[in-house]
Amino acid sequence: MALKASVLTDDSLLSRMDQTLLKLEQFFGLISGLAVFALMFLAVYSVGGRNIFDSPVRGYVDWIEITMPLIAIMGISYTQRDGGHIRMDILVGRLRGRLLWSAEFVTTFLVLVLILLLIWGSWAHFQRSFDFAAPLWSRDSTIDIKLPVWPAKLVVPMAFTVLAMRLCIQLTSYGKAVISGTDTPVAVPMIEDAATIAAREAAAVTGREQA
Amino acid sequence: AATEWNVSVWGKRRAFTEHVEKMAELVSEKTNGEFTMNISYGGLSKNTENLDGISIGAFEMAQFCAGYHADKNPSITVLELPFLGVSTLEEEVAVSKAIYAHPATIADLGRWNATLLMPSPMPQYNLAGVGDAPSTIADFKGLTVRATGGIGEAMTLAGAVPTSVTSEEARQAVDSGIVKSIAFAPHAHMSFGIMEVAKWWTADLNPGTVNCPIVVNTDALNALSDSEREALLGSVDESLAYYIDYYNNETMGKWGPLLEEKGVEVINYNPERLAEFRELAAGPVAAKWIEENNARGLPAQELYDLVIETLGK
Amino acid sequence: MEPIDIGIAVSIGLLVMVVLGMRVAFAAAMAGLIGLIWIFWAKKGYDPSQFTWALTVATKTAGQVPHSKVASQALSLIPTFILIGYLAYYAGLTKALFEAAKRWIAWVPGGLAVATVFATAGFAAVSGASVATSAVFARIAIPEMLENGYNKQFAAGVVAAAGTLASLIPPSAILVIYAIIVEQDVGKLLLAGFIPGAFSALVYTIMIITIAVVWKNVGPPIGGFTWKQRFESLPPALPIVAVVVIIIFFVYNPFGDAWGTPTEGGAIGAFIIFLMALYRGMRWAELKSALLDTAKLTVMIFSIIWGVLIYVRFLGFAELPAAFADWITSLDMAPMMILIFILLAYAVLGMFMDAIGMLLLTLPVVYPAVMALNGGENVAAADSAFGMSGPMCAIWFGILVVKMAEFCLITPPIGLNCFVVAGVRDDLTVQDVFKGVMPFFVADAITIALLVAFPAIVLWLPSLAG
Ligand code: NA
Ligand code: NA
Repeated sequence: MALKASVLTDDSLLSRMDQTLLKLEQFFGLISGLAVFALMFLAVYSVGGRNIFDSPVRGYVDWIEITMPLIAIMGISYTQRDGGHIRMDILVGRLRGRLLWSAEFVTTFLVLVLILLLIWGSWAHFQRSFDFAAPLWSRDSTIDIKLPVWPAKLVVPMAFTVLAMRLCIQLTSYGKAVISGTDTPVAVPMIEDAATIAAREAAAVTGREQA
Repeated sequence: AATEWNVSVWGKRRAFTEHVEKMAELVSEKTNGEFTMNISYGGLSKNTENLDGISIGAFEMAQFCAGYHADKNPSITVLELPFLGVSTLEEEVAVSKAIYAHPATIADLGRWNATLLMPSPMPQYNLAGVGDAPSTIADFKGLTVRATGGIGEAMTLAGAVPTSVTSEEARQAVDSGIVKSIAFAPHAHMSFGIMEVAKWWTADLNPGTVNCPIVVNTDALNALSDSEREALLGSVDESLAYYIDYYNNETMGKWGPLLEEKGVEVINYNPERLAEFRELAAGPVAAKWIEENNARGLPAQELYDLVIETLGK
Repeated sequence: MEPIDIGIAVSIGLLVMVVLGMRVAFAAAMAGLIGLIWIFWAKKGYDPSQFTWALTVATKTAGQVPHSKVASQALSLIPTFILIGYLAYYAGLTKALFEAAKRWIAWVPGGLAVATVFATAGFAAVSGASVATSAVFARIAIPEMLENGYNKQFAAGVVAAAGTLASLIPPSAILVIYAIIVEQDVGKLLLAGFIPGAFSALVYTIMIITIAVVWKNVGPPIGGFTWKQRFESLPPALPIVAVVVIIIFFVYNPFGDAWGTPTEGGAIGAFIIFLMALYRGMRWAELKSALLDTAKLTVMIFSIIWGVLIYVRFLGFAELPAAFADWITSLDMAPMMILIFILLAYAVLGMFMDAIGMLLLTLPVVYPAVMALNGGENVAAADSAFGMSGPMCAIWFGILVVKMAEFCLITPPIGLNCFVVAGVRDDLTVQDVFKGVMPFFVADAITIALLVAFPAIVLWLPSLAG
């Protein structure tokens, strides 16, 4: 659960771009978190409505289905920024210097290609559900109370576009590191051994316990 | 060269998919194995996205239900209006075919690059439930029910309280008291475990059903050789006959004895009161449907009249 | 190439990408997308003019998956369970639990260690994630054990092992994920986790008491709490009991007439802990970081889910799972032996991989094979290889693989729980924790063997649920 690795910063343009994008990513991440929170209240309202006031929420499932993409996808770039998407780093963890940055460059490039294709694919998915001529612009609706689905589908290409920007920044940094051979590139998550990550994780928990 | 079609359906092989299986068998037979169908139960797409898959061209044939996504296929949702008065699978086939052949419907599905091939006729979604049986129409007031789409709207007008849960959670919803009753076709009442707990069943309420067509990708259809196309289109009636026979004998054959064995109370309503109920619920929901779909540019009144007219024959 | 060969080639490519350090979510999605392009192009006989068509169809097919697969009511349990865990820190629930367990149970040999297991099991009933659970108890339980003369390595091992209980005892994010992938009833799976979870705790307890009795200096008993002190320790821990009761009512429906679905139960549990945390002084700053942490972990898990499901979509076109199932069932070996080999393979794989990634990557192929081994999805108990119906086999296998995945959290070289415990304590090295946790390998091996030999331990509760 390597959820937070350190990312170095300095005054360079690349690092400033990293930090500016981070603000957007944090905003998207917070929307994710708030959506989880909203889901919690919706359930409480639904159970309360049914058991106490005898008036269940119509379309409870529909609302959940509309909210889930916000929760599950909106923060994808925020997680990528700190290296929070899990991977197996037994091999990469042993590399150092140019060899390491080259490996990172190649895998990051592949991910960028993947994400660009998925932006296309998920945009097409959105487009099929969207029609300017239709009521509520909707060409796809939920089963029970017929909510338009297009806003939920639009979340995916939107979040992926931010991720693509993040990947471009990381790719640039890795590219520069391959050329310069530096040990301390900015704007990318530093590889740490599992113990360091665990210590950070533990410290985060400890901080909360004391709070 | 040999033609192989991928077919996207979902769940397990059951009465509801027997016409597709039959179709694959017939087509292969008639073309000496030159044209085959590879039926996938859920492997190719999520059921609510089969129409998207057809539109993309990911597979050539698929099944879906109109009510899953009314905005994708507004024209055929007319067949899901409550209390249309369909009582047999044969009637359901006739009325579906009439609507499928209407130019507005063809254009509606044409937006998805889809051509309607045949219906999957479903019996009426009668209610099974626990607690006090709604033996009169007045008893529907305050009854919690899992019913979606037009049936849900009709239930609301009768004073019942529809609550949405997925079909997988339906049984748990009954167990946990979220709903007292579930509107399903008989096979679904059996396969989702509702009959293990149900105390009553509304035999002749016949509030409506869902419409689940089989469609093919129009480009793939056009790319077939003449003999292949003939084998496909010429097998529709035989496949449907097989389906209806299977449903009536296998599924309904189990249904009656099951009701008896479990001691389920079979509720038959007074015909006059039933007519009142239809009046109360069917009219307003149909009127609302017509108004909404006129706004979409569909000849809604014409489609509705076509249904009623076909049933009158 | 036949679709099946493409399936095998792409699956090997996926393994290579994962080993080379590509993020699991993206490696799986990439493998799936490339596989889809390949399959569609092969269908057109690799005609160069048809490549664009194949690329378009494959990309649009893959592009549906992220939205369509996460927009699911059942999956909404996962963020809720994660939120509960994070909010529980602020509510101070963990400390209160440990204090109560200590006062009530620490008089037995190895008493503080037993109390740790009990408190962790209790916390597991509100927390869905193992690693976080170990981190919390490393801070609360280890200092007390050291003060009372416990062996350092032993104390660390207890905490690392006990943390794994969180993923069996519901709520459990990993059980929900299993249920989604194999399309089984979430409620029944969560229900099935309860007894094996409690059973694991019991085996740990027996192991601890045995060790403490044999080696007197390892973990001396702690006595001297009055009944008054014992009862005083209960009220602060009561809210957790309330939450547990609510989750039990919603998830297990014990009396057949309860209040809602597991989804709602999780959310109400979270709501109660949220109110407690507010009462204990949580404000916007803390809530915001809890929400951000929840979002980050949730997104990480969901990315793997949709990434793997793109790969699964490709497997559907390649028909690989069916072929693998055919191969497994054609082996000239007793089904039980094959099952044991599969579990051993998970033990090896789990040494190098994260639990969720491992399950998600393997289940699409392994699960159908195991079901086929038992005689099919709908087999009756009487006709089956393992003596249980198809749906029951799905539940039993689910608990077994989740227990295997949890076992992997404490095995070297990547036992994450051990790293976390060592990370919390400056005076502990990872080697210390791995040494201390060794007895619990034995305990877990015994537990898994018993779960395999006596499936009733797993299946009794869900079979009551009908
Ligand atoms: Na748990
Ligand atoms: Na491990």
